[in-house]
Amino acid sequence: MSESSTTAILSCRGMVKRFGGLVAVDNVDLDLAAGEVLALVGDNGAGKSTLVQMISGVFRADGGTVSLDGEQKVFASPEDARAAGIETIYQDLALCDNLTAADNIFLGREIRRRRFGLLPGLDQAEMRDRARTVLDELHIRIPDLNAPVRALSGGQRQAVAISRAVYWQARIMVMDEPTAALGVPEQRKVMDLIRLLKSRGVPVILISHNMQDVFEISDRIFVMRRGAKVGDFPTSATEPNEIVRAMIGG
Amino acid sequence: MTVQSSGGADTAGAPGVGVQAVRLIGRVWAWLFLLALIAFFTATAPHFFDLFNFQAMGANTAIVLVLALGQTFVIITGGIDLSVGYVMGLATVVISLIMQNMVGYPLPVALLAGMAGGLGVGITAGLFNGFVVARLNVSPFIATLGTLGIAQGLAFVLSGGPPVSIQIPGLGALGNGYVVYWHSTFGLGLFGLPEGVTGPEMRNVRSFIPLQLLYAGVLTATCAYLLSSTQFGRHVYAIGGSAKAALRAGIPVKRDLFKVYVLSSVMASLAGLMYVLRYTGGVASSGDALLLSSIAAIVIGGASLFGGEGRIGGTLVGAMIIAVIQNGLVLLGIDPFWQYAAVGAVIILAVLADQAKLRIVR
Amino acid sequence: MKIRTKWLGIAAAAFSVAAIAGSASAQDKRTIALVYGIKGDAFYVTMEKGAQAKADELGVTLLADGPSQWNPAIQTPIVDAMIARKVDGLIAVPNDPQAMIAVLQRANDMGIPVVTTDQFIGDGDYANGSVTFPLSYVASDNFGGGKLACETLIEGMGGKGTLYVLVSTPNVPSDVARRDGCLAAVEATNGAVELAGVDYTQSNATIATTQTQAALQKNPNITAIFGGNLFSAQGASAAVKTANLAGTVKIASFDAPEQAIDDLRAEVVDIVIAQQPALIGATAVQYIVDALDGKTADIPRKLATPFVVITRENVDTPEAQAAIYKDK
Repeated sequence: MSESSTTAILSCRGMVKRFGGLVAVDNVDLDLAAGEVLALVGDNGAGKSTLVQMISGVFRADGGTVSLDGEQKVFASPEDARAAGIETIYQDLALCDNLTAADNIFLGREIRRRRFGLLPGLDQAEMRDRARTVLDELHIRIPDLNAPVRALSGGQRQAVAISRAVYWQARIMVMDEPTAALGVPEQRKVMDLIRLLKSRGVPVILISHNMQDVFEISDRIFVMRRGAKVGDFPTSATEPNEIVRAMIGG
Repeated sequence: MTVQSSGGADTAGAPGVGVQAVRLIGRVWAWLFLLALIAFFTATAPHFFDLFNFQAMGANTAIVLVLALGQTFVIITGGIDLSVGYVMGLATVVISLIMQNMVGYPLPVALLAGMAGGLGVGITAGLFNGFVVARLNVSPFIATLGTLGIAQGLAFVLSGGPPVSIQIPGLGALGNGYVVYWHSTFGLGLFGLPEGVTGPEMRNVRSFIPLQLLYAGVLTATCAYLLSSTQFGRHVYAIGGSAKAALRAGIPVKRDLFKVYVLSSVMASLAGLMYVLRYTGGVASSGDALLLSSIAAIVIGGASLFGGEGRIGGTLVGAMIIAVIQNGLVLLGIDPFWQYAAVGAVIILAVLADQAKLRIVR
Repeated sequence: MKIRTKWLGIAAAAFSVAAIAGSASAQDKRTIALVYGIKGDAFYVTMEKGAQAKADELGVTLLADGPSQWNPAIQTPIVDAMIARKVDGLIAVPNDPQAMIAVLQRANDMGIPVVTTDQFIGDGDYANGSVTFPLSYVASDNFGGGKLACETLIEGMGGKGTLYVLVSTPNVPSDVARRDGCLAAVEATNGAVELAGVDYTQSNATIATTQTQAALQKNPNITAIFGGNLFSAQGASAAVKTANLAGTVKIASFDAPEQAIDDLRAEVVDIVIAQQPALIGATAVQYIVDALDGKTADIPRKLATPFVVITRENVDTPEAQAAIYKDK
């Protein structure tokens, strides 16, 4: 249970979140180093998502501090967290189904230009080009960039969400069950993307129920139970039974 | 949610010629339908295919179209604005009351004062709708139904019930005239009949570009640009697609909803101004019977009441389809009651076409 | 059932007249209630003025009130309140021909003579119809009004040409009567005047414009339009202007609020057909007082009041001015 690294990009101390009388997250510390994939595991209701949502600005913490590169931050909103470089891929993807992949990548941060030097407008061609570039970089094939993302497969949609984070140069990527709704080939694709992020030095916090994925991809496994941290294991030095025992308190 | 991902991937992975074609037809079917209607009435209805008739249809549908423009934004966000009819009515009453008391002032001065009052009505009503929908989280249907009642009540209180008329010379010409007039012997007239034309000779004047159509055209172009080519327009689609996703992407959803409802009410008050110019007066009920036509135009144009889909071009073609049906059926000498049934049938057809398109593309 | 109701009605009426005749001598100043159709409408404001003038002349007190919207459920308690105040007579503009029977029957049973104006209850035939207890039904002859309007238009057309008809709804008796009156005038020309069609405007000027435009397109020979109410006429006028036909197509408008007169002066319309609400109100008061004085036999069960035709030529004459409805 030692503090893992002095070179932590993200450092959370004493995180607390209460919903009425329920303590969802109880005094949790968490650190994340550059290029590290941290798997966050625990039974349903263990507080994983709540912890992550405090980091990504969705919930305000009732106690504790979040530091990025040693600097303490207060995130009042998801935009604040995103502006600081924390990108979150939600379980339900947070894509607008009626918009194209390019629209979604630039959602809320559209590239603007003035038409005829005065009318405020959008630079759609530029956004499409840049979207194409980032998708190519990540080896994501989306045949029709003009199609709404509802026409894409689950894996492609996941890829769009990830490429959005990559495009905006996420310093930390938070992924909540990214493969939950996917078929097996698409799960592989998402795993490849996480590896790609890691190779680019982007640390990832991965919430997952899939032990196989967790052991395949993570560097460290962080276990929560009833709102508290109950274990923090280097992946190479543990095995699934130990993790499961920690999760269920055996 | 897409669970059978591989199947989905195949469809999306290779958008074959079929899917492309369906998508294209989905986008233009309303235009094709309009062309078919025009062809049908041209073949069957005497006097239908006539430049004057087309211009007059445009002028007559202008008010409904303007009423529908702002509503299109609201519907794309997944909302609805039931208050536009009576906000329009209230605007006509306020504009008329102001201008009624400015007889003797030059027309532009009185008109500007009236316009200011009308825009005031629109902005106030829109802010109120926006507040109740975005801040108090009341469903748009209920919120705007409430505003409908308030606007109706105010309009009747202010006018006392009967219509309010304006006696300012030249006002009616702004609502009923054309940009260009032409008579073979008397020559050209801009914004008025050529000099010297009177009596039966008036029947031989050709006129082009009704002012009502000009006003509606400018507003349509503005709204089309706003929706298709600006950041605000993109956010309107995003909110309708997924308000949650929009919020997470950092889009100021509440502020944008305020803007959308203000836009809708302001368009309603401009429709009111066009009514005042056309009929040189206002009355509380002037927009009441137009609300459903305006929503019908939007739906025929391909917008979804669930939000996320719709275009100004669609609303335009929807309004034109309704206008052509109404005009064509009268020219054919068909019982007026069938007009309602015909428009109703087209609405259902439009929704079916839309569903079919979604099924295939998905 | 019907016969029994009728006999009961007549018995009740006889009883009531007797009772009132008795009470009248005991009281110095009689009170008559007027429950009009809807608040704020110039037509009813003018009716009340006419009733008030007649009440002053005859030395009776007039109490006037009415519902804020056209709704029998709102009008009923107002009538009940008048019954509770023990008025000596009741003039009512019933909001519904069926729904208002019960409450007016209640007044009649209390010995209060009832006259309905502008609108009727039952089938409108108080002599032999389904409801016979009201003393009289005093109203404009809408059929005659429509006929007069179109006769005036036809005269202006030189007795030949094409005429187009716009009325508000196909399901309100007064609208239907106006339409039928106009059609009768057209028929009377034996084909010299052709009918271009009848459309229904829902009292909305924009809809009326659309319909008129299409009608003008279909039939460019239209030279006269009958607008069954103000909005129909205004809508027709806009279409005529858009067709550059202002002045060459004559438009008649039914009813004469100030707005219609303004439109007449602004050449939006050419003929205004005025009902005489003041005369209707005054006549109703006279009938109630006659009944209270026991002169029931002189009262006709139905009286149709005439119309005044207002044009730009006669609009400033005292007769025309007197016929304009007053807002306040």
